[in-house]
Amino acid sequence: MSDMLQVAKKEIKIGFRNPWAYSFLILFSVFSLSLLLVNSQNEISGYSGVTGSMLSLTLYLLPLMSLFLGSFSLTAEKEEGSWQLLSTYPLGTISFMLGKYIGLSVVLLTIISFGYGLMGLITALIGKMFDINTYLLFLSFSCGLILLFLTIALWIGSLAKNRWQALTISVMIWFFTVIAWPTILIAVLGLLPYLWIKPLLIIFTFLNPAEFVRLFVVIKLGGGAVLGPEYYKWVSWIHSSNGSFSFFVLFLIWLLFSLTCVCWIWERRRPRA
Amino acid sequence: MLSDAEFSGPILINKKLTIQALEGVSLINESLEPAITIQAEGVTVQGIRVLQKQSGEESTAVSVQANGVVLRNLKITTRGYGILLRDSVDGVLEDNLISWDSSQGPSTLGEKGNGIDLFNSSDTRIENNRIVNMRDGIYLDNSKDLNIFKNKILGSRYGIHCMYNDGTKIIGNIGEYNVTGAMIMGVRDVVVSDNSFVKQRNNVNSQGILLYDVQRSIVEKNDIEGNRVGIYLERSSQNELRNNSIYRNFVGIQFVNAEKNFIHDNDFVANVIEAEAMDSESNQIEQNFWDTAQVLDMNNDGNSDIQYSINPFYRNLISETPAFQLFFQSPGISFLSGMYEQDNQHSWTTDSSPRLKLNQPVLTSNSIVEDKPLPDKVFLMIVSSMLLLISILTILYSRGQKT
Repeated sequence: MSDMLQVAKKEIKIGFRNPWAYSFLILFSVFSLSLLLVNSQNEISGYSGVTGSMLSLTLYLLPLMSLFLGSFSLTAEKEEGSWQLLSTYPLGTISFMLGKYIGLSVVLLTIISFGYGLMGLITALIGKMFDINTYLLFLSFSCGLILLFLTIALWIGSLAKNRWQALTISVMIWFFTVIAWPTILIAVLGLLPYLWIKPLLIIFTFLNPAEFVRLFVVIKLGGGAVLGPEYYKWVSWIHSSNGSFSFFVLFLIWLLFSLTCVCWIWERRRPRA
Repeated sequence: MLSDAEFSGPILINKKLTIQALEGVSLINESLEPAITIQAEGVTVQGIRVLQKQSGEESTAVSVQANGVVLRNLKITTRGYGILLRDSVDGVLEDNLISWDSSQGPSTLGEKGNGIDLFNSSDTRIENNRIVNMRDGIYLDNSKDLNIFKNKILGSRYGIHCMYNDGTKIIGNIGEYNVTGAMIMGVRDVVVSDNSFVKQRNNVNSQGILLYDVQRSIVEKNDIEGNRVGIYLERSSQNELRNNSIYRNFVGIQFVNAEKNFIHDNDFVANVIEAEAMDSESNQIEQNFWDTAQVLDMNNDGNSDIQYSINPFYRNLISETPAFQLFFQSPGISFLSGMYEQDNQHSWTTDSSPRLKLNQPVLTSNSIVEDKPLPDKVFLMIVSSMLLLISILTILYSRGQKT
């Protein structure tokens, strides 16, 4: 436990020395202020075309940010040799990995809370109302995205040999899960028998954190009709009181599974003296 | 004047009289005959609680067969029909509550009767009634110049079902959780305005307002939210649809074989498919607000100078494979739709001059003003300053730490 905290502390410290963190902080603050501008033309509360584009914009930026920071942090350990040194100490892989994860989460969450804090404060000061529910949902949407994509970042970091590899894989994963996702699925699923499409699509949706966090927020914001008659059951389920809770459980399962895999990979590759 | 006690039905009124009941008077009818049958002109019945116990097509709580009858403040629980009007003009039905008797287990729609069922009864006024869990809330057939005002219909099949009633006015009604809010068929010169039809979505065929074979009618200022199809027009022409708020429906407006309608100054917000048209060429669509439209206003008249054509890519995609509805406004979909934009734009449903701003004030169906301990603004301020403070402190703390 204390090992883990030590690793996390070090990670936070290094994280905030990293110029990348600050460039992302500035980028995200500018970005959230532009979201504010976009939203100021929006008179409608709840889901609308404008909220949809805001979600999309967030989806472009945040996954990329967490993939880069997360995977670079792990490959740096390898490149700089600090992990080779650490693995000679009685430090468990799990404590190390969890510490890394917690540290990186703190760094990333700090970045987005700075951005959202700034945005919210300016909104409140200039009096242009941002609907409080929308604001909180966006905040939790962003946190969810970051936490899930960070686990993917750790996957990348443990598989890649150096920063360049990590960069390439990160961009690839980002492009695949965010931009090309519908195109690829429509193309591939179109080849399969009709009855397989829906179950497979649902499975794939749960595998893609970007998609499943997005859907949750869209349904929460958007009310009944947005997903159409195919998914009315989902909609009423998510709107029911245990919908959010089940989503949270699902979210935790995703996190735990992913982290376990990463620990396993890292343990197998641990240098033994 | 009746005071307390329970009476058992059925009763027949064949003289002109006024029955006014005090609170707690109920009429329980175990027979198949209507609990109250009115055959004399000018009868008024007020304030009775009526229980119609027998079920079936023949069973009715109140049957009116004379002119100028007034039914006010009745509380009807029935296992058949609620109020039946036959060949009775100039009637008034107001402040009644009609509900299905579900004490003997659930029933299917087919077993239920209509709340108010009216045939050949022109000039009737139906106002301020509340109808719950019936087949059709208000069923109007073959009558002229009816006034249907401010009724509330919940959980029924059709809220208001209007067949062959020229010159009817349907104003200020509320329908929720019905299969279809208002089904209007075979009429001319009807006015449907200021109604609110929301959350009609539990059935695959549910609509907010359905117009079939309707001519020269006006549909205006209705709130239509969260339905499967907001407004559905089939074989209807020369109607004017204006100033409606059409929010978050699966399909905003759908035309089938509908020609020469004039659709203007409506608000279309967050409908998955904004408009869909089949064999409907010559409708005039202009100055509506579409939340996804790209607009450009050079001369500051509030209307866009570029037209808005509704891209049917997503509609085609999900009508082929409904499972893909999960991709609603997914970031990647916009790229795909963009690719589709190259060809045959002229055949798309087009608004010639979309509005820049909402035509109607914002629809606030679910934001009823509550007494909160904190106003939203203060709450937002506290949350955001906390976030900002914590993040700055984290950064400063970790920067300041000694190694």
